[in-house]
This record gives sequence, C-alpha cells and structure tokens, in this order.
Amino acid sequence: MAGVLFEDIFNTKDIDPDGKKFDRVKRLHCESESFKMDLILDINTWLYPMDLGDKFRLVLATTLREDGCPDSGEFNPLEEASRADSFEYVMYGKIYRIEGDDIHSEASSSRLSAYVSFGGLLMRLQGDANNLHGFEVDQHIYLLMKKLAF
Amino acid sequence: MPKEQFREADVIKKISHVQFSIDSPQEIQQGAHLRIVSKTLYQGQRQPAQNGVLDRRMGICSKDGDCETCGQGLNDCIGHFGYLDLALPVFHIGHFRSTINILQTICKSCSRVLLKDVDKKVYEKKLLNPNLSYLAKKALYSQILTKAKKQNKCPHCETPNGGVKKGPGLLKILHDPFKGKKESNEVFQSTLEELIVATDNNKELNQVMRSHNQIDEMNPLTVLELFKCIPKSDVVLLGITSPGADPANLIVTRVYVPPVCIRPSVLSEVKAGTTEDDLTMKQSEILLINDVILKHMSSGGRIELIQEDWDFLQLHVALYFNSEVSGIPLNMAPKKPTRGIVQRLKGKQGRFRGNLSGKRVDFSGRTVISPDPNLMIHQVGVPERVAKIMTYPEKVNSANLQKMKQLVRNGTNKHPGANYVQQRGSTFKKYLAYGNRDKVAQDLKCGDVVERHLADGDIVLFNRQPSLHKMSIMAHVAKIQPQRTFRFNECSCTPYNADFDGDEMNLHLPQTEEARAEAMVLMGNKSNLVTPKNGEILIAATQDFITGAYLLTQKDVFLTKEHAMQLAACMLAEADSNMRIDLPPPAILKPRRLWSGKQIFSLIFKPNKQCVVNVNLVTKGRNYTKNYELCPNDSWVIIRNSELLSGSMDKATLGSGTKNCVFYVILRDYGENYSTLSMWRLSRMTSYFIQNHGFSFGISDVTPSERLLEEKQKLLQTGYSKCDEFILETQKGTLQCQPGCTIEESLEAVMLKELSGIREQAAKTCFRELHPTNSALIMSLSGSKGSNINISQMIACVGQQAINGKRVPNGFENRALPHFEKFSKIPASRGFVENSFFSGLTPTEFFFHTMAGREGLVDTAVKTAETGYLQRRLVKCLEDLVVHYDGSVRNAIGEIVELTFGGDGLDPVHMETKNKPVDLIRELNHIRALNQFREESVLQSKEIMITAKRILLEDQFKASRNDFKQECLDFVEKVSDKIRSVQVAFKKHVTLANEMERMTEGHLRTFIEKVNDKYNRAVTEPGTAVGALAAQSIGEPGTQMTLKTFHFAGVASMNITQGVPRIIEIINATKFISTPIITAEIENNTSMEFARKVKSRIEKTTLGEISSYVEEVYKADMCFLVIKLDLNRIKVLGLEINVDTVIYSICTSKLRVKAALIDAIGSSTIIVRIDSGKYGSCLNAELQRLSTAIQNVVVAGLPNISRAVIAIDDTVKPPTYKLCIEGVGLRDVAATYGVIGHHTKSNNIWEVYNTLGIEAARTTIMGEITSVMEGHGMTVDTRHIMLLASQMTSRGEVLGITRHGLAKMRESVFNLASFEKTSDHLFDAAYYGQSDAVSGVSERIILGMPATIGTGLFKLVQNHNKTELEPPQVPLLAQAC
Repeated sequence: MAGVLFEDIFNTKDIDPDGKKFDRVKRLHCESESFKMDLILDINTWLYPMDLGDKFRLVLATTLREDGCPDSGEFNPLEEASRADSFEYVMYGKIYRIEGDDIHSEASSSRLSAYVSFGGLLMRLQGDANNLHGFEVDQHIYLLMKKLAF
Repeated sequence: MPKEQFREADVIKKISHVQFSIDSPQEIQQGAHLRIVSKTLYQGQRQPAQNGVLDRRMGICSKDGDCETCGQGLNDCIGHFGYLDLALPVFHIGHFRSTINILQTICKSCSRVLLKDVDKKVYEKKLLNPNLSYLAKKALYSQILTKAKKQNKCPHCETPNGGVKKGPGLLKILHDPFKGKKESNEVFQSTLEELIVATDNNKELNQVMRSHNQIDEMNPLTVLELFKCIPKSDVVLLGITSPGADPANLIVTRVYVPPVCIRPSVLSEVKAGTTEDDLTMKQSEILLINDVILKHMSSGGRIELIQEDWDFLQLHVALYFNSEVSGIPLNMAPKKPTRGIVQRLKGKQGRFRGNLSGKRVDFSGRTVISPDPNLMIHQVGVPERVAKIMTYPEKVNSANLQKMKQLVRNGTNKHPGANYVQQRGSTFKKYLAYGNRDKVAQDLKCGDVVERHLADGDIVLFNRQPSLHKMSIMAHVAKIQPQRTFRFNECSCTPYNADFDGDEMNLHLPQTEEARAEAMVLMGNKSNLVTPKNGEILIAATQDFITGAYLLTQKDVFLTKEHAMQLAACMLAEADSNMRIDLPPPAILKPRRLWSGKQIFSLIFKPNKQCVVNVNLVTKGRNYTKNYELCPNDSWVIIRNSELLSGSMDKATLGSGTKNCVFYVILRDYGENYSTLSMWRLSRMTSYFIQNHGFSFGISDVTPSERLLEEKQKLLQTGYSKCDEFILETQKGTLQCQPGCTIEESLEAVMLKELSGIREQAAKTCFRELHPTNSALIMSLSGSKGSNINISQMIACVGQQAINGKRVPNGFENRALPHFEKFSKIPASRGFVENSFFSGLTPTEFFFHTMAGREGLVDTAVKTAETGYLQRRLVKCLEDLVVHYDGSVRNAIGEIVELTFGGDGLDPVHMETKNKPVDLIRELNHIRALNQFREESVLQSKEIMITAKRILLEDQFKASRNDFKQECLDFVEKVSDKIRSVQVAFKKHVTLANEMERMTEGHLRTFIEKVNDKYNRAVTEPGTAVGALAAQSIGEPGTQMTLKTFHFAGVASMNITQGVPRIIEIINATKFISTPIITAEIENNTSMEFARKVKSRIEKTTLGEISSYVEEVYKADMCFLVIKLDLNRIKVLGLEINVDTVIYSICTSKLRVKAALIDAIGSSTIIVRIDSGKYGSCLNAELQRLSTAIQNVVVAGLPNISRAVIAIDDTVKPPTYKLCIEGVGLRDVAATYGVIGHHTKSNNIWEVYNTLGIEAARTTIMGEITSVMEGHGMTVDTRHIMLLASQMTSRGEVLGITRHGLAKMRESVFNLASFEKTSDHLFDAAYYGQSDAVSGVSERIILGMPATIGTGLFKLVQNHNKTELEPPQVPLLAQAC
C-alpha cells in the first residue's frame, strides 16, 4: 500500500495512568504485537470509546488516497476519503519531532520516538529505529484505527 | 503650495542664560513706570486712584478700558511695574539670614571683612575664578564666614566685634561686641565706665547699667549704612561676585509694585465694591504705614511710636514677600492668612510646579472608560460628543480641498465637521456654528486652516493617572463611536493599570503634523508593547481572553464544522473583513469530522497560507508537571510554525509580564503589527467563544464537597496537634531553639510556619478535589484571575491572620481577646481562622480578620504617598541623563555619568533573556522550523564549528559586536556537541539522525545573521532618556510592593528591612540604617567549632557576662573589688581570654584604672584597689561606681557589635557556615582573624563607602536594590539600577536622592527651585548672583524651550547658499569733511 508509514496491531495496556483529567479524551498506553513498539495515544473516547485490553489495528499513512498520491493539505469538504472507509476512527495530524530515547545509554541506542500531534491529541510512537523509516519532521499524516474483534 | 521649510522659531531671541540678582533701588526705579504713593485704591465711581496700587498705568485687569501706558486691551497688555518707597528701610525676609551672615563677616564699625589681608587675597583669587562652580562658591563663602566669626577684634580698626545673632521678636538683629569676654576685660570696662558716667544723673538707670550686657540692637538703618560702607574689594569675599552687585541692596528701601494683571480685582456682584488680591491689599497697607511714619517724623512724634510703626512696616513688608513668617508677636499677627509672593511660587500648586513645569492644556478630554474587545489594540473609541469639541487644525491643500469643503459645510453640529476656519494670512477665526457655511466652504482655498473635528484615524494621546511610567501615556488611533465613554481593548489595561470600575482617562489631540508623527512613532501604543523596565511584554491578553483561550485550547474541546467556521469568522472585521481563511483539515475525520480547539486557535497567528507569521515556541505553562508534552495537565506548550501542537494556553503563554508570551515571540520575530493583530484576533475569538461557551460564577462554585471538608478537617487536626506539641515542648523547655532566638520567639516562628502552611495545603486539596469545570478553578489555573489563596479562603479555610508579620498580638491583658484564656497560645486565640468565607467566620475570627484587613488598608494608604514622593525624587535626579552619540551617558551639562550605558550599551527593552538580546535556543529552533533547507546537505558535527567561524569572518560581520561573536560561537559549539552525540548514536540510520537534528549551512547562516541583526538593533539609540527610564523603572515597582514581607539574612532571628522602606533607605543614602548587617565568610567554613570561635572574637562580651561575681570588700585598712571570672563559661563561649587579657582590657577601658592597682590572684580572680590618695574622702562611693561600671568593660570582641549569629547553609553537603553580624564595624570585622576579609559584605552603603571606597559603595547600592526587588518577585534590568547607582556616586561621594543630594548634583537654580525649597534657592541665587545656563530638562520646560533629550538632542544643520552682504558704507568723519 502506497503512502503507509507504519502498520501494526496494538494492545491497550493502560488508560490514563496519571488519573483522569479530561472528560472526552483519554490517554492510551499500548504495545504492538509484531514490532514491540510502545504507543501513547490520546483519543476522543466520546466518539470512540476504548477499554482496557482492547485490541486494534493502527495504520499511519501520509495520504488517504488508495493510489498514494499526496494530499493537498487543506480542508476539502467534498473529498471522498477512500482508505478511511475500512476504518472506524481516523485522525489527521503532523509529525513534529523525532528524537532518540536516551542518547547516552548504548543499549537502547536504536530506539526512537516519533511525536505526532493530531490537533492537540498527542501520539508518541516509540521503538526500534528500523520501524520508523520514512518518518519526516513536519510531515502530515493520517492515523487510522479499527478495533479488532476477538 | 510647497510645504514651508522648517525653521527653528526665534533663534535670535533664544534665551542663553538667566541671571539672578537683587535689584538696587535705582534699578527698581528704572524697571518701573511710575511711583505709587497713594494708599487709596479707588476714587469716586470706582475709578482706580491716581498713583494708587491699582493705577491704570500698570495695566488693567478688566475688559473695559485700555492700559494707560501701552494703550492695549486686557488680552494684549502684558502689564507694567510700579514702585513704592518705604519711609524707613527694613530687612528683607528672604535675605535675612544672608544679612546676618554678612554682619557676622564684617566689622561693625569700619565695614571691612574681618580677615587678615593675606587671607583676603587668597580667597579673593579663588572667588574671582570664572569657572568656580556654584557649589564651590557657597563652600568658600561658608569657610570665610566661619573664619570671620572667630575674629573678635577687627584686624583693621581694632574695634571689638562679637557675635551677631537673630534677636528676640521679628527680624531683629543683636550684636554683642564683648561676647564671651569677662567683665574684667579692659575695653569692656572702659566702655561701661563711659556709660555710667553718662547716666550719672539718672539714678535708676545708673543702677541698672552695672548689670547691663552691652548688647546692641542693629536696626535696618545702621545695617544699611554699614553695608554701604563695605569696600568694593571686600564685597567679593561675601560671595557676591557678579559685577554691580551691592550688599546694600539686601536692605529693602524700595519695593516693586507688580502689574495689576497678576493681582486682578474681582468685581463682586452681590455686594457693592470689589474683592482685591492679597498683594494689592498688602501694598496698600504698606503705604498706609508709610504715611503714618512720615506724619510722625515730620510732626516730631514720639520715638516709641515711630519705632512701633517701623516694626509694623517691617512686618508687613515681610508678609508681602512671605506670608508664612514665623515668630510674629501675638499682638501684631494678622487676622487671616494671606498669600505672599513666596506662596505664589512654592508648592505643588505654585508657579514653578503648577504653572511652569506643567500646564493646563487645550484640546483634551476626560471621561469614564469601558472595555471593548472589538477595537483593535491601537485604537481608542472616542464619543462623538468629544470628537465634536476637540479639533485639529488641518491645512487645506489640493488633495483634501473637497473633503475640507464638506467638513465646513457640515459645520459644528454634524460629526465629521469643523468648528473654525482661518483664512491664509489672516488672524481671524471664523466660527462655523453661525453664518453661511456654504459660502465659507465655497471660498475655501489652499493654505487656509480648517479646525476640523476629531475624526477616525487621528493620532491621540491617551493617559491615565498616576502616570508612573512612560506607558501611562500612549498614542492611539481614534475611532469615533456613538457612546459616552472612551473605549479600548482590554489588552491595553496593564500599562495604564486601568480597570473599568469607574476609572476615568484623559485624551489629548496633538495639533501639528510633527507632533503627530513623533507621537505615532515614539509614543505609539504598538511601539510600547514592551516595558523598558525589564523587556517583558506589557500589552498582552488579560482576564477573560486568557480564560477563553484556556478553555478553547483544552485537549477535549472539539468543534463541529459550523462551530469551527463561526469561530474562525470572528476574525473577519475591520481591515481584515475580506481576509481569506485557510481552515486546516479536521483533526478527527472519522467517525465525525471535528476540529480541535487548538486548530482553530492557531488561526489567530496564521489565518491563511499567505500570512508570513510563523511562531515557534516551546515552553512550559503554569500547570506543568512532568514529561514535557506528555504532561498529564497538558501544560507543555509547543507552537510550531504557528500551529499549536500541544499544551493549553494560559497566562504564562498569553499574558503580560513574561518573555514566553506568544505575542512577545511574534513581536520579536515579525514586528509589532503582526503581534497586535494576533492579539486583536485573540480578543475577538476568545470573547466570542466564552460568550457562547458560557462562563459564570456562583455560590455553587464555592460550595465545598463532602470529601473536601473531610480533607480539610484532617489537615486542621494534624496542624492543631502539631501546634499543641510545640506548646507542650515549650512548657517543658525542650523546644529546639532557632539560632539567635529565645524559646518564646522560636515557638512563635514554628507556630506561624505551621499555621500558614495549612492554608497552602488546603489550597492544594481544593485544586485536587474541585471539578475541572469549576469557574474559580478555571480562572486560577489559567491565571486570568485569583490565586490559590483566594480559592482556599473562599472554599476551605481563611487561614492565619498576620499582623506585622506575626500572629495577632495581645490587645487585651495577656491575650488577644477576652474570649480566650490568659497566655493562651492555641491557634484560635492568636488569629487562626479555620472557617472559610463560605462557611462563615465566628465573631473572634471575624475580628482578627478585620485586624489584618485594617493593616492592609493602612499599608496601602501610607505606601502610595511614600512611593509617589520616591518616584518624584528619582525622576528629578535622573531626568537629565541621556545617551549621547558616543554611547556614553551624560547629564545636561555634558558630564559623564557612565562611559557606556549599562556596561554594554544595550537597551533593556530589547532583552529576550536575562541580559542578552537574543534567546539563542529559541532562535535556532525557529530557524530550523521555518526552513528545512531540504536542498542543502546536512552538516556533519565536526563541520559545524568550522562553518560558523567561516561565516563570522565574512564582510557583513566585520563591524559586528564582539560579544555577539563570542556568544554565537559558544552556542554553536554546544549545539555541535549535541549533534555529534546524536550522529554517533544513530550512525546506522543516517536519514533518521539527520531528521532528528538537521543542521545545514543555510540554517547556520540565517541564524548568525538573525542574531547579529538582533544585537545591532538592541544598541541603545542616542538621545534615549535613560535616566527618566531608570527612574520610572525603579519607582513604578515600588508602588506594587507590599510593605510587609519578611526576609531573613541567613538566619530567622535576623530580619532585614525590605520593601519600600529599604528602597527609601538606600536611595536617601541614610547613614544609620535600621538593620545594618555584615555578612562574613569564614576561612574554615565547614567547621561549626571554628565558626563559634570567630563569632566569639567578633561579638562583644562584657566583663559582667563572664564573671561569677563582682564584690566590694571593705577591710579596716583597705577596700577593694573582687572579680571572679567564670572560667567554665569562658570555655563554653569559646572565648580566647584569660585573667591577663581581662586586666589589660580593664586598664585600656575608659575607667582610667591604673595597672598598678590591679592584681590577678590565681587564674580566675582579679582584685581592683582604689587609689586612696585620689578618692580619700569618698572611697565608698567610688568603689560602688566602679563595681557597676566595670561590668560593662568589653573583654572580647568588637565594642560596636552586640550580636553575631552563625548562619547555616545546609543546601550543600557538607553544610557551610558563615556569620551574620548586626551592627557597624565592617573594617574591624574584615580584619578579624578567621574571617575572609575580601568576602565580607555589609548592607550599609555609607559604611562600605568609608571602608572600601566609592566603587564598592556603587556595587553595594546595586546589589541592595536588586535584592530588595528580587525579594518582592520583581525583575528590574540591572542597567537601570546601575545607572541610579552611578548617578548617586558620580561625584565621588555617595549622594542621596534628596534635596541635599540634588543640590550637590545640579547647578541650575530653576531645577532646584522646581524641586523643593523654592524660595530658598531663588533668594540664594539672587544673593550669589548665580546665572542659570538653561541646559537641563526642567529648566527648558520652565522656559518653554525644547530640551536636549530624545529628538531634541541633535540639530539640523543646513547648508545655506552664502550670500555675502556688502558691509554698510558709513562715510568716515574725515571723508565727510
């Protein structure tokens, strides 16, 4: 699939570890199944309720068009988002920072964190640098989610 | 019609200097038009009497009739002086002191100065030096005076001269030629004999004569004769150096009668007759007494009568000059107070301060203010009614002719109209309310002046009193609106310190294009977003804007398409009505399209792609906890390229008084226009949002929940039980004493600390327990209004009431109120209020609360008066200081105060971080975010430094400042280190590593260029009134200081004066400050033992303190004193003394005990015997005196130091010790063995000056002011404080900012007279013949000249075409013949 930066299935490990601060937004701490990536994700739970232990598929893509053509970056009310059709929850945001976890400790030297803000809803994807290839600062990305039934 | 060339007005008539002198009678006559002789004011039909004080020849004061001298009417006649002659000379009240001084200096028979010829020559030479300063002249004269006073015999004529002093009664001078001489004195005896012989025939008088003391009264006539006889060569020695000046003029024989127009008579309509001015009345009285004296003299009246009338004349002439004469005999005292000439000049309402330094102006308005978030930041809404009265004289030209015609046609009653038209070349103004306006409009030609109404777009000055700093008066752009109040955007409240509870503000309309241009650029509200006090932004979002923005940018605010667009459309107004808005794609696309509040909020910075503003800011908000952007409170703000990525906005990122404000960032990177535009968009958007969101406050917001109450009870219980424990410990005596405190004081300290803590903890509980939608909580969290204390007091617990920094004192017998037991120490009895305002206070709690409240009120009242005066003094002393074109700070006469302003020549306004004009980290982040330079290759870490150095060597940086280059290199090195570590760690993933820390040559170059630019911009502009700015920057925070905050000098028991009192102490250069403290570092600062030893060397120990007993022993043959030293105590105190040193101390003390009389017995006993030869008769008394006095002998330490406390600093490991010493003696402390002398500090400026010198004093002043300011959480740029310290020390001695100090800083009479003691300075100046060069700001203002400050610093030099005039051919006398 063109334009997809990252895809994996995550397990919700923890919700709002620092206590509930916001009515409509919860912070999920998740772990991916195949790449062992750590994910912190803010989500609007009024629209899309999540529970502890929920399993979901997460895709990060640079465009919603199936052909991988880049988006205009502007709001287009008429746009038919094709890729989004198969997902339940879709957000639009921007990668604003990529940083090494802890530069001084040699062991985790290849662990990276990518920070994305979806209009204030934050995401931190942390894990092996190999899985974060293609991430660029100031890149606009889409987050697509779908809960898996089990 | 070309614009007229600017010419400085009246160059020929420019005042070069003002000369002060005392007019002689002849000069008075020459200056006057007529002599006044008649005491009558009117003669028939209310006509002013001929030669009376209201004579028409002295000008007129009513509209009817013309001046008989110049023939002009009331508006044009400037008035003419008259004069009147006194029947007998009298002393001048203002020069009375000088008169006495001269009499003390000269011989009372030959009138020569009582100095030897040698001395005379020396002084004469010094005094005639033309470069002698005013101050030096005064000093020289006072030297001469003291020298002459000591002479009791004239060196020339040998006549005895004694003391001259002010006599009893009013203006009497007594001379005692034999002062201090014994009656046996030969000369005295001979004169006495003479008198006795002369009175031989009068028995009674003869008797009295023997006890007569030979004191003469010197009447004005004799003094006048004496003064007239002073030889010309000796006049100089009296300090009167100006040519033509004569000491005889000090005696009044002739008085000016001022023009009628300055003392107008008021026709009263109720009763017949007029009300005359005090001056007129006084003059007429003087004339009356004159007549009486003349009549008595001509008719040979009794001498007593004449004497009495003379005294009366003396009194009235004195009252004429100064009606506040002290010491008037009761029978002569005037019935009602009058205003003399001095009273017209002095004081706040007097001529100098009320009419010359500040004037009433036209074209101004005042009304109530109201807020209007829809107005732009630089606008002010002006009511139409005001606009129709305030006018601007606009010159008609071809471009505005049509518009002007329309305005004239509209006339005075329709708003965009005009009130007057003045045709070119005519002086007549046509009023447009009446007459044919169409005709006037028709006749309007280019060059005419139309006084049009204030209209949209006019530059007006807006002001709110008190005008404490330059931002209190700013230029706005008027917008005419149909209401009755002045309106402006709330963002501008902070600089004016305005609120809308009924405040009024003033509006002024500048009347020329030049004035408008200057006002717009220099005073413009947009140009003054930042305060020069510390470079923080002052105009920024306030109150509801912050609340609104906080609510809008919460993480869980999502907006539907309709909402989002409505909000975004709020920005479309005024000039932006047709702006394009690029709405970003929604943050949530599915299940529903929703925009987050942050996305919409970001539009205020950059509404569309064309907008150039790219804000970059990373900072923490007010509620930041941990983990950067993952902070659970969402309070880590990241704004990247004008997009709010994380964090909610609050006071720290939107409000004033910070450098992390987004508007400040926009201001620094994109300029004031974009900054204010964003601010305006914010105010429109947030006010709309908050109106629709709904935000209210009610009783439900302060109702505590059950859990909250439980928590509070728990808190109280733990607090109370702790307090009980403390009380118990105190009763047992086991409480740990704090250094330097008694057990009682220690208890108070710990109790106060414990109880004050309860409120803080309660506040924390409130924050935890309250629902996030609680209004009070939202306001407090966002920082828009209210603190945690307010919340805690409303909801949980009002807390401990403190008075004077202590718990409530005993106002009743041994308790605060009769409701408590005596000596009760429990919290409630000492002002602890456990209730909240919601639950209600008990009567005692309420009473304690009112006590604290009253203290606060008194405090504010006292403080405003004090700080107002402080501000005035500061401004007066510093107003002249200006940065010149060479970067130095100089005063009005060009004396250097600082070589470069602030040491680096940078302007505090431009400081982004503390003391640096660029925040390098933010700048680099900004540049990296702005442009990725994707086309360039990434620099490897080792290349970075090389590239930076190469760029810095380029031509464009040749003239750059060195501090900039150094700063840049240091920073780039740090950055390259960081990049290196990243590049090393991620060698395998090069692209990702480059993504993390991308640095190209383009980045580096733009960075260096930008930093260089900012550094160059930050240089202080020549002409900046740095003095006035410094004065305002130090004075203004003073008004915000709460008087009572306690600060401890290392130890709790030693508190030092803080706040306004301390600032006043420093600025006055007070010699004996209230809490002098010396801080001494000790050599071995980790050893408590060592510290104790040093302490004992410093602290005063008296013999009484270390002796077990002092006993008097009487034996049959002898008596003596036995002193038993308490060796144990000496050891405990660590004193380094023994019997011998004690004996030495006794011998060297002031007791004058001879060494031979003291013996030591053993190691602890001393015997002091009495010299029986000397005190043979009173041995007992002497022994008792000695036994008490000897206990005060200082045996160890420094005699002036009563207390030294060891301060422990346990923030470091191992804990370090230093000494805090109360008292004076910096020199002695620094010299004490064990003290590190060059690390010893004192807070006593005067002492530092005397011990270490002027530079040390300057540093101390700076340090002390800074620490006070910091103690109150106020940051003031060091450059301001440095300038103040420099000015105080610039004369080589520490001068206070008081009238005494000012007199030593300034020469100018006008300057000094407009400050304090107006009349004294004027009389002095007249006496010494001082001339004022009119160079300073005050003088220039008084004389209506542009000051050499700001835009007046430079002159425009024009290159004229030389037109040589033929010299006039005057035929020589020889040729004519």
